[in-house]
Amino acid sequence: MADALRDTPLRAVQVEALVVMKVIKHSSQSFPTAATGSLVGMDVNGSLQITNSFPFPAVDPSTQDGHQESLHTLAAAAPRAKSNAAYQNEMIKFLREVNVDAQNVGWYTSTSMGNFINTNTIENQFFYQKEPNERTVALVHDVSRSSAGSLNLKAFRLSPAFMAAFKEGKFTTETLQKSGLRYQDILVELPLTIHNSHLLTSLLHQLPSEPSAEPPSFPPTLAALTSDPTPTPAPLCPNFDALELSIDPFLEKTCDLLLESIEAHHTELNNHQYYQRSLAREQTKINAWQAKRKQDNAARVAAKQTPLPEDEWQRLFKLPAEPSRLETLLNSRQVEQYARQVDGFTAGVTGKMFAVRSNLLPGEAP
Amino acid sequence: MASADSFLHLARPLGPAQITTQPSTAPLSVTVQPQALFSILDHSLRRNADQERVIGTLLGIRSEDGTEVEIRNCYAVPHTETAEQVEVDMDYQKEMLRLHHRANPKEVLVGWYATSSELNTFSALIQNFYGQQGDGTFPHPAVHLTVSTAPGQDIEARTYISAPIGTTPERAADSCLFIPVPHEIKYGEAEKSGLEMIAGAKDREDRTQPILTDIESLERAIEQVLEMLERVSNYVNNVLDEEAQPSSALGQFLMNALSLAPKVDPANIERDFNNHIQDVLAVSYLANTIRTQIDLSNRLATAALTMGTGDALGESAKGGEQPQRGGGDSRRGGRGRGGRGDNRQREE
Repeated sequence: MADALRDTPLRAVQVEALVVMKVIKHSSQSFPTAATGSLVGMDVNGSLQITNSFPFPAVDPSTQDGHQESLHTLAAAAPRAKSNAAYQNEMIKFLREVNVDAQNVGWYTSTSMGNFINTNTIENQFFYQKEPNERTVALVHDVSRSSAGSLNLKAFRLSPAFMAAFKEGKFTTETLQKSGLRYQDILVELPLTIHNSHLLTSLLHQLPSEPSAEPPSFPPTLAALTSDPTPTPAPLCPNFDALELSIDPFLEKTCDLLLESIEAHHTELNNHQYYQRSLAREQTKINAWQAKRKQDNAARVAAKQTPLPEDEWQRLFKLPAEPSRLETLLNSRQVEQYARQVDGFTAGVTGKMFAVRSNLLPGEAP
Repeated sequence: MASADSFLHLARPLGPAQITTQPSTAPLSVTVQPQALFSILDHSLRRNADQERVIGTLLGIRSEDGTEVEIRNCYAVPHTETAEQVEVDMDYQKEMLRLHHRANPKEVLVGWYATSSELNTFSALIQNFYGQQGDGTFPHPAVHLTVSTAPGQDIEARTYISAPIGTTPERAADSCLFIPVPHEIKYGEAEKSGLEMIAGAKDREDRTQPILTDIESLERAIEQVLEMLERVSNYVNNVLDEEAQPSSALGQFLMNALSLAPKVDPANIERDFNNHIQDVLAVSYLANTIRTQIDLSNRLATAALTMGTGDALGESAKGGEQPQRGGGDSRRGGRGRGGRGDNRQREE
């Protein structure tokens, strides 16, 4: 029975509304530094229910040398830091006492513009997924995209093929050929749904307070209407951020990020190229040495002497190690992510723009 | 035990008050962030079967002068309650507070919550524990938030602060005067999209909501706008038909809104529109081209190519990957950045 359970792969992720709110709060608070935290919940028949979460301790800027970059790396590496593992265990122990599902099911991180596919994410998820109860996910919340309309929350796992490769730590061309691992297969996205408890549903139904029995009196003048302080946005009033027409910031940022990725890709290619050049150089030397040894041996045989061993070159020459292709893989996946993001954005924004145009030029509407 | 709506809890006999260090009882306004509320509801669902109510600690931010309190976070604290006595796990409370401080150094202890709107002697006792000197919120009053979660009734949140009340010193610990204070639920810009998503599930049978894509949320927003326009035009029509009460202020407001449409030359609109749409499409095109190039580059780097000569694979066994590169160049045009990178690779 237990084995059967273990074998059913995770099919979906169900996130409690509470977790959604906690993640949003934490990530918007610490923006632009990445926020990370731990998720607890349980696994029910292949669907992972995430019922609670808690943030990892903030990195104290005063103890670090205040360098933004190192601060960011520290924050991003938090999930697999030793002190945080202890923190997590302690927290889960306490949560168990108040009947919260005391099982770690993963971690969350915040990001900006989909820029999250990097070694840090991979290593964190590997850290969680390699554990014996490996049914864990990474929740990624995109702060900047959530603020521009709809919530952007995704659940990822590392694919088994990538896990195997990462465990060996070898990402050479040869191993990649053998395993057939492509960059598209690194992360597996799981469908994510948000779930509300009964109490919460009931709260949501009564949050927009009932309109008063008699209709409100009309404002006496226009000034009174525009300067009226009372109509504060009621809870759960519709959100029109999705109708925002600002295009340029998004395009600019995406282009920047894309350029960065290309730059990284280029560096990796150069590294590889360097490797191949030195490999070729060594190979030529070895060939020359081998040819010379053959000649020598032929001469020695002719002179009735014992031939010298021909495999000595393995000691004399050292072939350069092939650089890992992991970075290239991650970078490619990142580019794919950006491209999909742009596609999604284009779909929405062209629609909005055509709507604006036909609104401004009613006669020419098709 | 008092009725649910009384705020005053006294222990007899009344005597002269001898309280010297009086915490401030200035009225204050409380804002509650939805996630704290969500957390309380979740805790209420997870209470033990025999427990009437559960309590927990509220964390948040207090303004300098202490008149405004924002409840941002909370955590549950185990406690047991019988007819005679109440027991709160104080070690748990302290440890949890310490852990929370490590993650959120800015959030301080502001009070406590209970999941029933009843106030009783135990409430007073706990309230005094939270408001005490040392570990408590002293000199500011502790905020007490009650969220009623009785089935079949509305969820009702109330906030109180307390004042010590004149009794004998021995009984001061379990008596206090709860003063109701106003509170409101507020959330920030960042939480708006999340809350909207959560609220989207409220009318569904299974109480779940899949994540919407950008285009779906756009559709939703447009539908909402259309609905509102419908309501406004209904109202205007009713006024015209002399069925609804007219208001000149509203009329003016609507006129102003309508006149917001800019008066610009159609040619300019056309030009700006084209410029922008071209920008968008160009970036989209570029992004996809780059994706394709990177894909190609990856495939070429790892593919075992056997173009033309059948022994390419055999060679590759010994010479690493050089021979594999050789086949690559004949297939591609070498256009774009990814292409250039690859062309260089095969130089050797």
